[in-house]
Amino acid sequence: MIGPDGREVYRVVWPRGGKTVQAADVAPRLSSLEGKVIGQLWDDLFRGDEIFPILEEELQRRFPTVRFVRYDTFGSTHGRDEQRVLAELPGRLRQYEVDAVISGMAC
Amino acid sequence: MPTASLVCEGFRGQAATTAAGLGLPGLPTALVPGHVDVQTVDELRQNVAAVTVDAVIKNLTETIARAGHAVAEPAPADIVFEGDFDEVNRFFYENDWSDGLPIVPPTPERVASFLRWSDRPGETELGVLLPDQRRATVWNVAVNGVMAGCRPEYMPILIALVEAMADPRYGVEHSGNTPGAETLIILNGPLIKELGFNFEQGALRDGVHANTTIGRFWRLYLRNVAGFLHHRTDKGTFGNTWRVVLAENEDALRRIGWSTIAQDEGVSDANAVTISRFTGGGVIASVFGNTPDSMLPYLADSIVRKVGWELMFTVGMGAGSQRPLLLLSPILAETLAKAGLDKAALKQRLFELCRIPAWQFERYVGAWTNLVPGRPTLHALAKDGVIPPVFAESDDPERLVPIVCRAEDLMVAVSGDPLRTNAYAFAHNGILGFPTTKPIRLPAEWSRMLREARSQ
Repeated sequence: MIGPDGREVYRVVWPRGGKTVQAADVAPRLSSLEGKVIGQLWDDLFRGDEIFPILEEELQRRFPTVRFVRYDTFGSTHGRDEQRVLAELPGRLRQYEVDAVISGMAC
Repeated sequence: MPTASLVCEGFRGQAATTAAGLGLPGLPTALVPGHVDVQTVDELRQNVAAVTVDAVIKNLTETIARAGHAVAEPAPADIVFEGDFDEVNRFFYENDWSDGLPIVPPTPERVASFLRWSDRPGETELGVLLPDQRRATVWNVAVNGVMAGCRPEYMPILIALVEAMADPRYGVEHSGNTPGAETLIILNGPLIKELGFNFEQGALRDGVHANTTIGRFWRLYLRNVAGFLHHRTDKGTFGNTWRVVLAENEDALRRIGWSTIAQDEGVSDANAVTISRFTGGGVIASVFGNTPDSMLPYLADSIVRKVGWELMFTVGMGAGSQRPLLLLSPILAETLAKAGLDKAALKQRLFELCRIPAWQFERYVGAWTNLVPGRPTLHALAKDGVIPPVFAESDDPERLVPIVCRAEDLMVAVSGDPLRTNAYAFAHNGILGFPTTKPIRLPAEWSRMLREARSQ
């Protein structure tokens, strides 16, 4: 359309799509890691196989009763089996009575 | 359940924007300093012990601020801005809705003119796209098509492209990965001629309206609906400019009795799009010879040279998903066909020729890149059934092994200058942009509408 000053004026619409999820709060945190079971999730990349043992060792030193369920129990969270592994994850976390998860590696 | 996500320094921004896109803006992350791949064992240990462990404990035990209220967003038909051409372009660029080139202002009238070219209503949902979890609809396909400079009659192709983008098999969520692969769109069917696509000389060059604007549409849609943005969700280290649409030369294919790419991928509809992400590629110039024996060694050598770390998609993450593409000029395809090769036979010959020593293969995915955990040998992977026995036919490290798992994993297309003996080899991005083909659905009145559009 033509504006009052003779310029062509465009009324334009939004190019994006509606969000399908609403922002949610994350789960409540633990009071301590003592006596808790921590699951490890790994995407098979960027030295997670070296990093998780360091984390285990350091966390065990500070919280002697913490226990771990290792990443190979769950399978890789990225790649060929990704969709299956993620679909099975809630059940597996319940099966191993996991209280919290450490997931990597974003790199 | 409380979580701690391990994030290297360069990925904190992507982690934050991806978490927000997934609806968990408060998702805590634990920093891993620097990039782990360039650290010594001692440096890695020191960084994890000094920084990451404390962050993990905080992530799992300290209260996290509540998510807060979502910012209200416009409805599809809302007018978000009024202004002249320059003002609209500035507004879109400042809101990250444009690629930096001028856009055609998406007015409701222009959008409506695009919607006419689909029998499906604008609100029809085509899928939900990660990482922003936004709804892909016929409406926002039209909006982005207008912006890219497409013509309304391209709508059936644009819709099919977004259906392919939304297919989990393709894996759009990986479009911001660091190697910065770019999608190649391959078009098949009578639409190539009906809409004036270039399928001859300069087939991969910008300059022909349909090929160029639809290529631009692809990346605008990735930006605006999937949500891939520089410095945030798009982590391409270098990246590429979007590619123009590659239209196959179906006249040449018919003459030699070869199938199209879409048919090879199992879609026999008249018109179809195939998308696949390629990390790069290069021309194979001046192929000399008049028999497969004289021509194929050079073509195979060039395909092998384009593939390095991408071999992880043959044996590692997404094993068996490596799909290199050989693009032949018509005269090369015709020469091979004249010698009796159909596409399946050509792929089999290339499968046998595209080989490298086992020790070199293991170096690409092990010593040089650390992309396969534990750096297993090809023998071990074959023994575990991850890859076919062809990778472990002897113990000799000099034995030649293929770069893909099966002959049919190689893709062959025909386009470009009909009378030049050049080819092009593309290295593939495996499971992070797997070949996906979708039929193109035309509106019931397509022929009449196209006739009328041409007469205007």
